[in-house]
Amino acid sequence: MSIKLKELLENGRDRLSLELIWGEEHLNRVVEEKAINRPGLALTGFFQYFAQRRLQVFGLAEFTYLKSLDSAERELRLRGIFEKNIPGIIIARNRNPLPELRALAEEYCIPLFRTAMITSRFINESTLLIEELTAPRGRIQGTMLEIMGIGVLLQGKAGIGKSETALSLIERGYSLVADDVTEVVRDSRGRVMAYANELTRYHMEIRGVGIVHVPSLFGVAAIRRESELDLVIELHSYKNDADEERTGITPGEIEVLDVKFPLYSLPVSPGRDMANIVEAAALNHKLKILGHDAAKELDEKVIDTFLRKAGA
Amino acid sequence: MDETKSIVREFKVCNQYGIHARPAALLVKAAGKFAAEILIGKKGNEVSAKSIMGLLTIDGHKGATLCVQTKGEDAEEAMAELAELFENNFFEE
Repeated sequence: MSIKLKELLENGRDRLSLELIWGEEHLNRVVEEKAINRPGLALTGFFQYFAQRRLQVFGLAEFTYLKSLDSAERELRLRGIFEKNIPGIIIARNRNPLPELRALAEEYCIPLFRTAMITSRFINESTLLIEELTAPRGRIQGTMLEIMGIGVLLQGKAGIGKSETALSLIERGYSLVADDVTEVVRDSRGRVMAYANELTRYHMEIRGVGIVHVPSLFGVAAIRRESELDLVIELHSYKNDADEERTGITPGEIEVLDVKFPLYSLPVSPGRDMANIVEAAALNHKLKILGHDAAKELDEKVIDTFLRKAGA
Repeated sequence: MDETKSIVREFKVCNQYGIHARPAALLVKAAGKFAAEILIGKKGNEVSAKSIMGLLTIDGHKGATLCVQTKGEDAEEAMAELAELFENNFFEE
């Protein structure tokens, strides 16, 4: 991962109450680790291990320690840290930088920031923010729905009926997350969260009707801001030799942002109520998560019966 | 006069677990490719080979003898394809 200080400052102004003290021209410096370091040990002269690729936060402890030293010593200790080419320094509790700190920042061209937060809170919030800003993200073609807590992405060629199926599901009381284009982001726990593009959020296009605003038509219960992706359902036109799953014991797999998800390939044919089938697939998936795999259990029962008969 | 082709053959189930879900799915997929009507089961208890739930009810344990009947234009091709599955033990032990 890597993130420029400029990006961190822009996104951190509100969330981290971050402001720049010095170093406007050096905001292209890059942070390569999302954790934040408190340089207390390094200030005492211990450099056998020093997380120099991280942002360094000066809190109350660091300040109190530095103030216990005379100016020459303070300059010497601080120089040791600057020599390690750290990406940037943040001062907590909105303190003014000590003169030595400011001078060294200018000498080594390392930006100096300030936050109103106390150190521990800043460390938590900034780690979260950096994680968010550097999370892998992408945009995939497909309509995202939430069915009883299961995040379902509907995929398929244009005109196959994704939006129409989604509409039927919304009428049944499930929620729309995104129509046709879904933004995805992988969080630090490896979950893939799906949400809609800011601009087109909660709108969908129904062929022959045009663009509709879902919450206006169906109420706020019909929408959800984001949902965790659980399974992908692909609609395809019915072919007799299609390689679709017949038992559900080994569903297909699809990767989204390098995370594997079960993929169900559903043939669409006249008279098939797709909403009903997508609903069944989602509920069956929920059952599997709860540890009840109907297909597997039936298979085990069948095998068990056959083994007894074969042995007899 | 009925000119429809009809073939009947008997097969012995030889794989250890019999016709459980996986072999049943293979049979359904193979049968689904043909227009012919395909029946499978013990005598007097045949089901369509295009139904997975049906196939699980024919009691196809190891050692069972099953009768397969194909009826229709492509009866021969259908029988050949199903025979291959039986002869290869549904690609299981």
